[in-house]
Amino acid sequence: MNTATPLLSCPPPDSHLIRQTAVPPALLTVANLNVERHGAKLLQQVSLALAGGERLAILGPNGAGKSTLLKCLSGEIGDYRGHMEFGRQPLQHLSSSQRAQRIAVMPQHTDMLFPFRVHEVVAIGRTPFADEQTSLEWQRQAMQLTECWHLRDRRYPGLSGGEQQRVQLARVLVQIWQALDQPQRNNPDRSHLLLLDECTSALDPAHQHSIMNAVNRFAAAGVGVIAVMHDIALAASWADKVLILKQGKVAYLGGREGLNDPRLLALAYDLPADLARRYANSNQLWCQ
Amino acid sequence: MSLSRPANDSLRRAGVWLLLCSGLLAMVLTALCWGPVKISAAQVFSAIAGLLQAQPLDGANDWIIRELRLPRVLLALLIGAGLAVAGVLTQGVFRNPLADPGLIGVASGAALAAVAVIVLSDSWLLHWASLTGPLALPLAAFAGGLLVTWLMYRLGTWRGETQVAMLLLAGVAINVLTGAATGVLTYLADDQQLRSMTFWSMGSLAWGRWPEVAALSGLILLPLLLCLRYGRALNAMLLGEQVAGHLGLDVQACKRWLLAAAALMVGAGVAVAGVIGFIGLVVPHLLRLLVGPDHRLLLPMSALAGGLLLLLADTLARNLIAPQDLPVGLLMALIGGPLFLSMLLHQVRGRMG
Repeated sequence: MNTATPLLSCPPPDSHLIRQTAVPPALLTVANLNVERHGAKLLQQVSLALAGGERLAILGPNGAGKSTLLKCLSGEIGDYRGHMEFGRQPLQHLSSSQRAQRIAVMPQHTDMLFPFRVHEVVAIGRTPFADEQTSLEWQRQAMQLTECWHLRDRRYPGLSGGEQQRVQLARVLVQIWQALDQPQRNNPDRSHLLLLDECTSALDPAHQHSIMNAVNRFAAAGVGVIAVMHDIALAASWADKVLILKQGKVAYLGGREGLNDPRLLALAYDLPADLARRYANSNQLWCQ
Repeated sequence: MSLSRPANDSLRRAGVWLLLCSGLLAMVLTALCWGPVKISAAQVFSAIAGLLQAQPLDGANDWIIRELRLPRVLLALLIGAGLAVAGVLTQGVFRNPLADPGLIGVASGAALAAVAVIVLSDSWLLHWASLTGPLALPLAAFAGGLLVTWLMYRLGTWRGETQVAMLLLAGVAINVLTGAATGVLTYLADDQQLRSMTFWSMGSLAWGRWPEVAALSGLILLPLLLCLRYGRALNAMLLGEQVAGHLGLDVQACKRWLLAAAALMVGAGVAVAGVIGFIGLVVPHLLRLLVGPDHRLLLPMSALAGGLLLLLADTLARNLIAPQDLPVGLLMALIGGPLFLSMLLHQVRGRMG
C-alpha cells in the first residue's frame, strides 16, 4: 500500500496551526509524530494543535492509526519520534501520576469479572488523587451526568454493554472533575485533557447525544477533548475540528464543515461516489 | 445480585470484622485446649503467662501447650494468612477469581523444588544445601514457586489480557509435569526421606515447632504487611492493565512485585507444611460474597480468615481420628474441590448465557 493515493489537497497543517494558535494558547501541540511497529509505519508526520475547550474528532478507516495516535497521547506508546507538548511542557516530562491527574482516557471497552458495585467502579477514577472518600459529591454528579446514578448499587458485571460504557465514562470524567470545579482556562499548568476511544459505540442514539453533551460540559470548562469516532454523523454534529487519518497520514485537518465534502469522504474511506455524496449530504444537515 | 444500600454494606463489613476477630480468638483457645490430651482454659492461660515471663516448663501439660500446640497454632495462622493473601494477589493480577496459586501450579512448583532439596541435598544439591543452611528448603520452594508463576504469566497472558482457560489448562499441565518429576525423585529417595516426603506432600502442620514459626513469621508477615498497601492499585488493575496505566500506576512494577510476594508466601508455607490447596480460592471467594471485591478490605480480611480457616481445618485434622494426625491438605481438598467446581460452572455458564 505504499503507492498511496494523493490525498485531497487541504490547507497544509502548519499554516492551520498558526491560524488556530494565534488566538488562544495551545493546550496540546503534536508535531511530526511518527510511530513504527515491526517495520510498518503506523503514523507518519502527524501534526495537530488543540486549544483548551476545543473538541477534536479523529476519523478514518479501520487501521488508519486513530488508536495509535490516542495511545501516544495517553502515554501507552513511548517509542515515537516527533514532539508532543501539553500545557507548555513536553508530554513525556509528566510523571505517570501527574499525567493521570490531568489526562483521562476512556478505552473502547472494559470488562471485569469481579462483582464491584457501580459506585465503587466510579470511585476507582479518583485513584490518582487517593481521595475516594472525600470526593463522593463529584462521584454522584458524574454518575448523574452520564445517566447511571440509578444503577449505583448494581453489580458492574451484570450490566448491559451500554450501561457499562456509561459507568466507565463516569469513572473517566470523575478523574478530571476538578477541571469543572475550578475552570483553568488560562492556566496551562492546570489544564486537562479528555481522550475518548469510541466511547459511544455501545449506545443508542439518544444516549450517544446525551453523553456527548456531558462531554461538552468539560469542553466548556476549558478541557481539551479528543474523540476517536466511527460515526461520521456524530462527529459532524459534535466536533469543533476534525482530523481524518488514512494509512497513518493526515488526510484532513480542519473544521467539521470538511465532512460536507463528498470528495474528501470518498478519498478518506475509499467510498463509492454516490455513497460519499449521501454521507456528505447528511453531514450537511448535522453541521447546521 | 442484591440491591442493598451502601449503609447496609458498611454495617455488613463491620459485622464481618467482628466475626473474624472474635472467631479467631475463640478458635485459638479451642485449638489450644482440644486434643488427645484435654487441657483446661485456665491451664492454657497460665502456660502462656509462663511462656511470656520465660519461666521454666512446669509439667507435661505445660510442655504440650508451649512446645506442641502453641507453635502449631501460630503456624496455621501464618500459613493460612499467607495462602489466602497469595490467592487474592494472583486473582487480582490475573484478573480472574479462579486463579488460585494451587490450581495454577505455583504450589506444586514450590513442592517440587522442596522435594528436590530433601532428596538431593547430599548429592547434586550439596552446594545449595551448604550455602543456604536452614533456609535451603524455604528458599528453594520460593524459587520453584516464582519460576512457575513467571511461566504461567507468560503462558496465560496474551496482549495484556489473561485467558483464564489457558491459565487453568496450563496449570493442569504444570501440575502433571511437577507431579511426574516429584515421582522420579520419590523413586530415588531412601526409606527415611520417603516417609517424611509422603506425609509432607499431602500437607500437614504436624512438624511445626518454634524454629519454623520464627522462619515463617519473617517470610510470610513481611510480604503480607507490605501487600496491604496495594489495595487501591489492585482495584485499578481489575479494570485492565491499560486502564490502570491511565490511572497513573506503574503496572509492570506492581505486577512483578505482587506476584513475587505471592510466590514467597506460598513457597514459605509449602516449605514447612507441604501443599495445602484451596485456601487461596475459598477464602477470597467467600469474602467477596460477604463484603464485595474491594481489595482494601479483601487483603486484611483474607489474612485473618485464611488463618482462621487453616486453624479450624488443622484442629479438626488433629482430632478427628486422634491420636492419628490426618493430613490437613487432604481435608482442605475435600472442602475446596467441590467449591472450585461450582465456581467454574458458574463462570463458564455466566459467560455463555
